[in-house]
Amino acid sequence: MPSLLGVVAKQLRSHPALIPLFVFIGGGATMSMLYLSRLALKNPDVSWDRKNNPEPWNNMAPNQQYKLFTVNMDYSKLKKDRPDF
Amino acid sequence: MPSFASQHPVRADQEGHHPRRGHIETTQVLVRLVKMAEAVEEKIKNYRTAPFDARFPNTNQTRNCFQNYLDFHRCNKALSDKGQDVTPCGWYQRVYKTLCPMSWVSKWDDQIEAGSFPGKI
Repeated sequence: MPSLLGVVAKQLRSHPALIPLFVFIGGGATMSMLYLSRLALKNPDVSWDRKNNPEPWNNMAPNQQYKLFTVNMDYSKLKKDRPDF
Repeated sequence: MPSFASQHPVRADQEGHHPRRGHIETTQVLVRLVKMAEAVEEKIKNYRTAPFDARFPNTNQTRNCFQNYLDFHRCNKALSDKGQDVTPCGWYQRVYKTLCPMSWVSKWDDQIEAGSFPGKI
């Protein structure tokens, strides 16, 4: 098919009730891609550096929260409790 | 901070060493170290269990166990290289003994003795 977008636009014009379908499917796909990229770039267990052997989880502050939703855990009350060396 | 009376101002020498400032700063550092060591000893005495670690918030605590094992040995190495007392490192030992299975700990201890431990210490 020469232009997939042109075909879809023509079909949408004749069946406008399909637009919410595209909205929801597109929104769902976008959200899953966003979460995957958050995992790939921000997760402290992930490291893209293949040469050195960094430990990116050690760069977190003692009260830094990575999880999106925590139950029964007040991160603002956490303090640093490990000895320095 | 006490200021010693002097007719002439005490200046730093050519290399930048200030005679009295060095003495006071060293004392302050030593006092801070002693206070920190006492605080850690207090914490080790009142130890109940491994505290929540924000670096490892999920159910899988494998990395928590390994990190504390590494930190114990790194702490021993760093403090004995600096010539300081190694007792603050006992915190990491308590935590990894709480978290790690005994078979892992004995395996890693054997590996360290044999020189084949894979972690960076």
